[in-house]
Amino acid sequence: MNFDARRYVIVTFIVITGLMYGIKLFYMQVVDVENWKLEAQRIAEKRKEIPPPRAVVFDRNGKKVVENKTYYNLMMVEEDMVGLDTVAFGKLVGMTKDEVLARIDEIKFGEGKYYNPHTKKKQTNYQRIRPYPFLKELTADEMSKIVPHLDRFPGFYEEITSMRNYPYASGANILGYLAEATQAEIDNDKFYKRADKIGRAGIERFYEVEFRGEKGVKYIVTSARQNNVGSFEDGKYDTTAVQGDGIILGLDIELQAYGEKLLQNKKGCIVAIEPSTGEILAMVSSPSYDPNLLVGRKNINKNYPKLVEDPNIPLFPRPLASEYMPGSTFKLIQALIGMQEEVISHDSGFPCNKSIVGCHNHPNAQSVTQAVQYSCNPYFYAVTRRIIQQGKVKSSFRDSEIGIDIWANYMHSFGLGLKLNTDITGLRAGNIPDSKYYNKWYGKGNWKFSTIRSISIGQGEVQLTPLQLANVAAIMANRGWYYTPHFVKSIGDRGPRIDYTIKNKTLVDRKYFGYVVEGMRRVVHEPGGTAAMARIPNIVMCGKTGTVENYIHGVKQKNHSVFIAFAPMNNPKIAIAVFIENTGGGGGTWAAPAASLVIEKYITGEVKSIEKEKRIMDAELSNWK
Amino acid sequence: MRKNDSITGNFDWILFGVYLLLVAFGVTTIYSVAYNPDNPSIFSFDEMYGRQLMWVAVSLFLGLLVFLIDSEIYRKFSIPIYIFCLGLLVLVLFMPPINGARAWLGFGSFGIQPGEFAKIGTAILLSNYMSSFNVKQQNGQTVLVSLAIIAVPMLLIMLQPDAGTFVVFTAFLFVMYREGLTFDPIVLKLVNLIPGVKFKSTWVGTHFIPILFVVVFLIVITLIIGHKPLVLDYFPGQVFSGYWRMFAALLSVTVIGYLVMRWMFSKREGRRAFTIAILGFALSVLLTAGVHTAFKSLPYHQKTRIELWLGIYEAEPGTGNVGDGADYNRSRAMTAVGSGGFTGKGYREASVASIKTAHVPECETDFIFSPWAEERGFLGSAVLVILYTFFLLRIITIAERQRSKYNRVYAYSVAMILFYHFAINIGMNIGLVPIIGIPLPLFSYGGSSMMSFSIMIFLLLKLDSQRKDALN
Repeated sequence: MNFDARRYVIVTFIVITGLMYGIKLFYMQVVDVENWKLEAQRIAEKRKEIPPPRAVVFDRNGKKVVENKTYYNLMMVEEDMVGLDTVAFGKLVGMTKDEVLARIDEIKFGEGKYYNPHTKKKQTNYQRIRPYPFLKELTADEMSKIVPHLDRFPGFYEEITSMRNYPYASGANILGYLAEATQAEIDNDKFYKRADKIGRAGIERFYEVEFRGEKGVKYIVTSARQNNVGSFEDGKYDTTAVQGDGIILGLDIELQAYGEKLLQNKKGCIVAIEPSTGEILAMVSSPSYDPNLLVGRKNINKNYPKLVEDPNIPLFPRPLASEYMPGSTFKLIQALIGMQEEVISHDSGFPCNKSIVGCHNHPNAQSVTQAVQYSCNPYFYAVTRRIIQQGKVKSSFRDSEIGIDIWANYMHSFGLGLKLNTDITGLRAGNIPDSKYYNKWYGKGNWKFSTIRSISIGQGEVQLTPLQLANVAAIMANRGWYYTPHFVKSIGDRGPRIDYTIKNKTLVDRKYFGYVVEGMRRVVHEPGGTAAMARIPNIVMCGKTGTVENYIHGVKQKNHSVFIAFAPMNNPKIAIAVFIENTGGGGGTWAAPAASLVIEKYITGEVKSIEKEKRIMDAELSNWK
Repeated sequence: MRKNDSITGNFDWILFGVYLLLVAFGVTTIYSVAYNPDNPSIFSFDEMYGRQLMWVAVSLFLGLLVFLIDSEIYRKFSIPIYIFCLGLLVLVLFMPPINGARAWLGFGSFGIQPGEFAKIGTAILLSNYMSSFNVKQQNGQTVLVSLAIIAVPMLLIMLQPDAGTFVVFTAFLFVMYREGLTFDPIVLKLVNLIPGVKFKSTWVGTHFIPILFVVVFLIVITLIIGHKPLVLDYFPGQVFSGYWRMFAALLSVTVIGYLVMRWMFSKREGRRAFTIAILGFALSVLLTAGVHTAFKSLPYHQKTRIELWLGIYEAEPGTGNVGDGADYNRSRAMTAVGSGGFTGKGYREASVASIKTAHVPECETDFIFSPWAEERGFLGSAVLVILYTFFLLRIITIAERQRSKYNRVYAYSVAMILFYHFAINIGMNIGLVPIIGIPLPLFSYGGSSMMSFSIMIFLLLKLDSQRKDALN
């Protein structure tokens, strides 16, 4: 018998083995390579992300508004712990033995579980060999007491971290705060890992990407005993962290702080805008809080619940989100629309007929300018009636529908009834009613001007945010246009955002503004004007007061005090809106003097009207609790 | 025929070239794995790479010695050599155990593994014995003697214990198969004990290698598909042993096989087909049921190890969570290999398989394939697999061109031993073979294996260069 053919059996064995191994290697190293790379990273190639400190914030005068301060975390690696003396360790960090054990458990179980598709089991994310912060956000002082003794407790070490610091303790509602990213945020954006900070409100949130900068990445090869062995492939893949460029605000932090002081013990807002640029100079929301209260997890856990429960709701950014009726300040726009629509002219006069709507005692207004000066309710009732019911069709109901849509269109061009494109979150649109709105409310054909007349004098369904109202002041200052109000003047040296350099023109021609602006001057400077208390020596100011009637559940509350203004009259530097809730007084009593103080402070750099200042600062209004 | 005076006249330069290439790859890999910045020279004998180079030099010198001795000497002295090897294997049992095995024969700091050299002794004696009889003369006795030559060193190795080398000795079964040795006389005696069965020959005894393959296949399949208990919709609430799946599979294969045989065989042979079917079925059931039961009675950790290898479930990943470490070595080695990717991480850039990081244990010896594959990627690992396959096929080619049966048996022994080492070693690095600790020939760090494989190959080269002088 010849067995030579059997060599092929053996050759086949060898070749098939070689092929099989080749295929398996191809599968592992080429097809399935990503999984194995991940596994290798998990085992040996630790990817360490180094977050840069967040961008620093400056005000318009180069003063540091938000900076970073160094803090320390006390890190823990369970694998490296050797016979931890929990009593002694607890003593060192100011905890009892049970608290130490409880904290370790909290770390272990707080990591949660993940679903492992290989084993089809839930497995804990916690790993003995990984470092976890045992204590967070210790100050240098606290840490310096612990560090010298740490060599007695293997498995614990210090780690530097940085946290926000606010030297001025002002502008909390503008700046916002940081908090640890939620699981949803981590899932959404690969940038974030557990315990990473993310902007939670204000510009910190709006400009999150600019604030956070770019993380650096360091690849470290670690041994099975978790020692660092060196950088992976000589640091070929390492990148350095890049801090975001400094963020320069249009804000004047001193003015902001001053405004907050003025509104202490009152609920209300001050919004000041530089008319020529649209930069927001100050945005006071009162009451507010010290932004340093919400720095770091420890502080947030302690202070956030208090702020939430505070009946004066300090976390609520009123200038952006509080919608008020504008009251008489609204008359300025009514007059402008009336002239533009040519239903009145600048010298139209209407008698002050108190049988239509209540008014105070003043001579009959013979022109738009006088009407503004006297803030004559029946006058603007008549003007608005002419705008809404222009007689374009026979039916007064249908006519009102057409009219109000024309009117609403004008209002939108003033940035009202829509969200401004301001660089902050939490903005609201306010309300400018149109035919759709009233048809829904009363039913089509069931309403005409007389039904909705309160909108003539800025009551009823009209609602504005203080930011929008300040923007109206800026429009008056600019005689017909505005740049969208914004906080950030420049990031690094990049300048303002493109859309903040485009003029938004109102639908009212520049020529009509003169009559209204002159009226505003008289409001402050002429006898019979409503804002005599706003006068500042040597500065020509134009303003308009408002006294807003308001109700809660049909019960009349004390009036809100409103004032908008800009100054100086020619080449204005500042436009302002002040809103103080439930003062009981008119706009001229509280809001106007407050606004004048801010204007004085901004234009002259100091406040000489000491009496006025004291009166405003000391006042406790708005049913303050 | 002119007697070839030159030592290198019929020298197989190709085999020698591949030999050198593998050795060189091995040394560079050891250099990468064990690199110590304090002794960066590859010649520093304080480091593994320096010592390995020394072993290479010693091996080449031994190879030269082998070449200077006439090949007839090895044949003549095959019994003393074999007995000498057995003597060493006995001696080693009195040595203190290292890592739980008495595998090292130590002279001071210098130690050798007699198990490595016993392969050569066994190969020489087996070649001598098998070339001494005509195939026609073969009977039960020749098979038993051949088996005994293999079994004695295996037994001694089992006492060390060294499972890896023990398994490698079964490589000689392939050699016996190639030479046409048959277990038929023994199998026939057993089979014909069954009443009513009278076979003149069995396919089983002759083709024991394919049969062995089938047996291994059946065992693996039994473990995989019998692992999960069987739940049938027809019998709600009832849980059956997973083995019934295997039973059903065997039954259907038998029925189909029987029908095919009926169709192929003549009518007279119909009864034979029936007998074969019944016997085959009975034996398979016996085997698989036995394996199934035996597996169930294994201790937990051994069961886990087998389950892991079979891929029935994977170990829980996560450092520090690997229970008894059953899967630790394998998963680490596989991670090193897999993460190498297509082009590898670069020379001396292995992060998983390196002595410094120590994620893969024994990555300079049993797991040396993993640093190679991690640093050279698929390109490198494919080159190595092709190189070894080519090396093995070259030895088969050499074997088949021998006129002397002695030479051929020896050449096949070398081929099959190397094949085992190659298949098991690389296989366990890529998760295809359970962890059996044996070195990658000519590649792994270690003097004994380097020397023994070198001697084995140089002896083959010597026999081959003198092939024209040998007559049988």
